[in-house]
Amino acid sequence: MLTSAQLDKPIVDSDLQREIEHFLSYEAHLLDTNQLEAWDSLFTEDGMYWIPLEHGQEDPVGMVSIAYEDAILRDVRIRRLAERHAWSQQPPTISTHQVTNAIVTAHDPTAGTLTVRSRFQVVEWRKRNFLRHLAGGYVHDLIKIGEQWRIKLKRVDLVNCDGVHDNFELFV
Amino acid sequence: MAEADPNWVERLVEPARVHKAVYTDQRVYDLEMERIFGQAWVFVGHESQVKEHGDCWSTMIGKEPVVMTRDSKGDIHVLYNRCPHKGAKLTAEGCTKHKPMFRCPYHAWMFRMDGSLVSVPHRHGYDGTSFDPDDPQFSMTPVARVENYRGFVFCSLSEEGPDLKTFLGGAITSMDNFVDRAPDGEIEVAGGVQRVMQRSNWKIFFENLNDTGHPIATHESSFLAARKTSKHKLGGEVPFQLHIIEGNGEAPEFWESLDLRAFDYGHSFMTAIFHAPKGKISEDYKAALDTAKGKEEADRIVSMNRHNTIIYPSCSPHTGFHQLRVIRPISINRTMVEIFTFNLKGTSEEYWQRTITYSNIVNSPSSTVMVDDVEVYERCQEGMESDGMDWISQHRGEGRDNLLDREIQSEGISEMPIRNQFRAWSHYMLGTPASIPTGGGDS
Repeated sequence: MLTSAQLDKPIVDSDLQREIEHFLSYEAHLLDTNQLEAWDSLFTEDGMYWIPLEHGQEDPVGMVSIAYEDAILRDVRIRRLAERHAWSQQPPTISTHQVTNAIVTAHDPTAGTLTVRSRFQVVEWRKRNFLRHLAGGYVHDLIKIGEQWRIKLKRVDLVNCDGVHDNFELFV
Repeated sequence: MAEADPNWVERLVEPARVHKAVYTDQRVYDLEMERIFGQAWVFVGHESQVKEHGDCWSTMIGKEPVVMTRDSKGDIHVLYNRCPHKGAKLTAEGCTKHKPMFRCPYHAWMFRMDGSLVSVPHRHGYDGTSFDPDDPQFSMTPVARVENYRGFVFCSLSEEGPDLKTFLGGAITSMDNFVDRAPDGEIEVAGGVQRVMQRSNWKIFFENLNDTGHPIATHESSFLAARKTSKHKLGGEVPFQLHIIEGNGEAPEFWESLDLRAFDYGHSFMTAIFHAPKGKISEDYKAALDTAKGKEEADRIVSMNRHNTIIYPSCSPHTGFHQLRVIRPISINRTMVEIFTFNLKGTSEEYWQRTITYSNIVNSPSSTVMVDDVEVYERCQEGMESDGMDWISQHRGEGRDNLLDREIQSEGISEMPIRNQFRAWSHYMLGTPASIPTGGGDS
């Protein structure tokens, strides 16, 4: 990873910067509009969605996480939300994602890989007075396949990852 | 319940139903903190969390903040987490390592890991006063009793009561099996501690742990989703990560065929619903256990296949997948569950990763299974807070329990474990006999 000093100027041109920012906004749009199959198709076949339990956690397989989901587990989560008797989704959770401060920290044009770090705020609403505010940083490891950017790893670092949590039903 | 009635607590529990006040009345909760969490053996932590001198783990026993420590002689202590000077908590929540002294953040009083006072600044300020550094009132206060059973550290805030082994009774076999499963004979807390908040009374969670009547109804969304994923994405194959979700959708006859066992002091267990998958990870594990214990003993160990065991009122081991869920009441309608994951010494990296996978899928805050449990707990809490009806039914299987020697056995779908919990609850709250009646009569 590049040091902060090396990131004082963009490492990619403004067209690519805009393209990547659009990708992040598009991904958030799919989540907020409940187009979860389309969201899931942004991942590569072996792509992973990860919410670490601890700040700076490096190991997703030898330590527990809040979530560490491959294509199979993401598929279960998406299908469950659509089930008639998903009791905890009566009424359903509504979410809104804001993604900002996108900085491309690595780019390998030959391999077609790119890492972008960003900040997010997510508000979830379900019922009564229970409005949940989630915030933190994303790290997206992307790869360009054909004309499409695809997600190899979406890492969600919650500011309160090490706290006591209510359930995570949707994708952050 | 009329407040003027001196026997109001007694009237809350009947043989097969309880008054909703046990979940909703603040006076009941306050009395539980005093009479249940102030008396029972409560799980504090595992000895592997304080491996060396200067390690500590802080947590709550009922409403009391405590800290478990390892002193310079290697002994484990459980101390109230408060400075004897002004009462400040000496350590924040969680674990610290290799800090052989507590230093109060307020006036820098210093204490050893056994709680004894080392020093106070401005010592001359105490000249000629009744302050005596050797007087225990100026050291950290230990809890009344601490016992360590095979690495599991429990404490009791009361001088009175049974020893830990007597308390664990027949449920001790689950604690034994938890440790016996390690080929090298040792287990350790590893990989981080997940924490989940439930917006419901602590007893609701305990009742659910051996409630074999709920999975088909409550977990329909996750087991159907897992089956569809299997069908549409994997051609019908059911890998481990789907098995532990879709297993809740077993047919009614399956749940009826399970065995439920309950013991004194509210403990119980149910037999397994998930099985370790076939394949290399399991085969290598069993071979290691065979080598370490001999085949006959290893067979006995792995054939003791249980789902949740209940150690009332503080924790629930899952022996087969090496999880320990610790229940911390926060208030009458808030319960925190801490999930400890254990590594068995002498097993492979892949075996450990499978244990982690189980934690992430079944017990983490993101679990697609538990989310519907937490929802129904909250709905129970909200429903019981209404004045619509006063009584909560526990009639399933009533009158069909088999009384054995200090043990009750019942059919798989019985609410017997819940009735057994309230037998213990009444014992703590009212001072009635702790022992369950046996086939030979009351003991």
